Amino acid sequence: MNLLITSATSVTAQLIAGELSGTHSLRLTDLPENASGDIVPNELGHESETDELVAGIDAVINIGYQGQSGLPAHLMDYSTRRMYNLLQAAADAGVKRYINISTLRLYEDHEENLVVTEKWRTDPSAENVDLLNAHMAEYVCKEFARDRLIQVVNLRLGWPFNGTGADDTAAISSELIGAAIEAALVSEELIQWQDIHIQSPVAHQRFITNTAARILPGLAGSLSS
Amino acid sequence: MKVLILGGNGMLGPWAVKAMQGRHDILLTDINDPYPEYKGDFQKLSADDIDGVVNAAKGMDVIVNLSVLRPHRQLAFDVNTMGNYAMMLAAREHRIKRVITTGPHFQMVGQQYEEWDHDLNPDMPPAPGTRLYAHTKALGQEICRVFSERHGIQVLTLLYYNMKHTWNLGGPEATPVYHDDMVPYSTAWQDCGTAVQAAVEVPEERLATKCETFFVLPDLPHAKFNNEKTKRVLGWTPRYHVEALWNKEHRNPPSGLHEAF
Repeated sequence: MNLLITSATSVTAQLIAGELSGTHSLRLTDLPENASGDIVPNELGHESETDELVAGIDAVINIGYQGQSGLPAHLMDYSTRRMYNLLQAAADAGVKRYINISTLRLYEDHEENLVVTEKWRTDPSAENVDLLNAHMAEYVCKEFARDRLIQVVNLRLGWPFNGTGADDTAAISSELIGAAIEAALVSEELIQWQDIHIQSPVAHQRFITNTAARILPGLAGSLSS
Repeated sequence: MKVLILGGNGMLGPWAVKAMQGRHDILLTDINDPYPEYKGDFQKLSADDIDGVVNAAKGMDVIVNLSVLRPHRQLAFDVNTMGNYAMMLAAREHRIKRVITTGPHFQMVGQQYEEWDHDLNPDMPPAPGTRLYAHTKALGQEICRVFSERHGIQVLTLLYYNMKHTWNLGGPEATPVYHDDMVPYSTAWQDCGTAVQAAVEVPEERLATKCETFFVLPDLPHAKFNNEKTKRVLGWTPRYHVEALWNKEHRNPPSGLHEAF
């Protein structure tokens, strides 16, 4: 597939690109102040440059959490206006699927004994700008799915990546992130707006992953039963 | 109370000012100069200027955000979304207890509601869809909700749609249309202004939660939108009911019959 990965200089995008580069054709993009080398600089504005960015793309993988850094106003602008522009351009270009990489930290204030699933409302912090903006990016994506302009898979990943500590009860491995995105790209079990929670099977696993196991069957062996 | 108004020189601002002047100390702000008739305090300020809004909000009791921009994509996000973000950062900074935000009804009642249902009410989950104006305003409202939940700031959202002049019931359309199908969410400008006053003044104990939304429209027979909460909670009583839009032209009763029968 031809895939577009946003915020390409971020740790998350680099990890994902590393996992997918062997099996897909990747187009990496980031804001001009971040981009260098093979990364396409793009403002994600509402002019034709964003249309050109998504031309020929089969699916977008958007880093919706910690893809950008900077002042709160910049982050809010990125997670709302620029996400809108990207989604609109993707919808106009007929891109079939948009995978938004979000985070299970949107539930981090929920006690670990609770059986938090995709049916639970997220509880973003107004103080943590990264989480607030992850929430806002999800909001924008959901409205595009609601209007049936594009199918959105909202992958909420555990944290930390590749954590092995005893307290890392929501950890997720790089391999599982890559496998989850691979599966989400091809699954035919998805609804128009599809939340999926993903984390590795670890001791005292914090989030259950039954939805992922059900609609991304290729992952079942990598998830806790 | 000391009331900071953002975007106060638009269409709604003068009516809100008229309703509150003499009752509250108003600092009017806008990117444009005020109307010549306005004699109060004024500061030139864009609603998305975070530092400027934070500075202007110092010492205020309430912030009212009337700013709006519809067609231009960059500016719509700047004003409708970032404006509310700036307002909430200012409220948090200065521990301001109440903010009033405004917008179109379809920031909550998107097409999936409006084209299907009746008795739509302001406690439904927002479903704005992707239309620029609705979407950007809905994002602004969501920012307010998150800040309200975390900081206990009272957020009162007033939703409007079709505003009418009382002298001819004209509105956004080129010429008024009487006795015909109408927008079933039409409100006289005066009543739009008094709703802002009511939201500023409503006692906290009448608010069920810290974050409440209100449909601002008079009693209309279509039963498309429900204004009960606005009247009950805010104590808002519309003066105008725009009857000429939803009554047929005056006709005499049939000959020989008393009108009551």
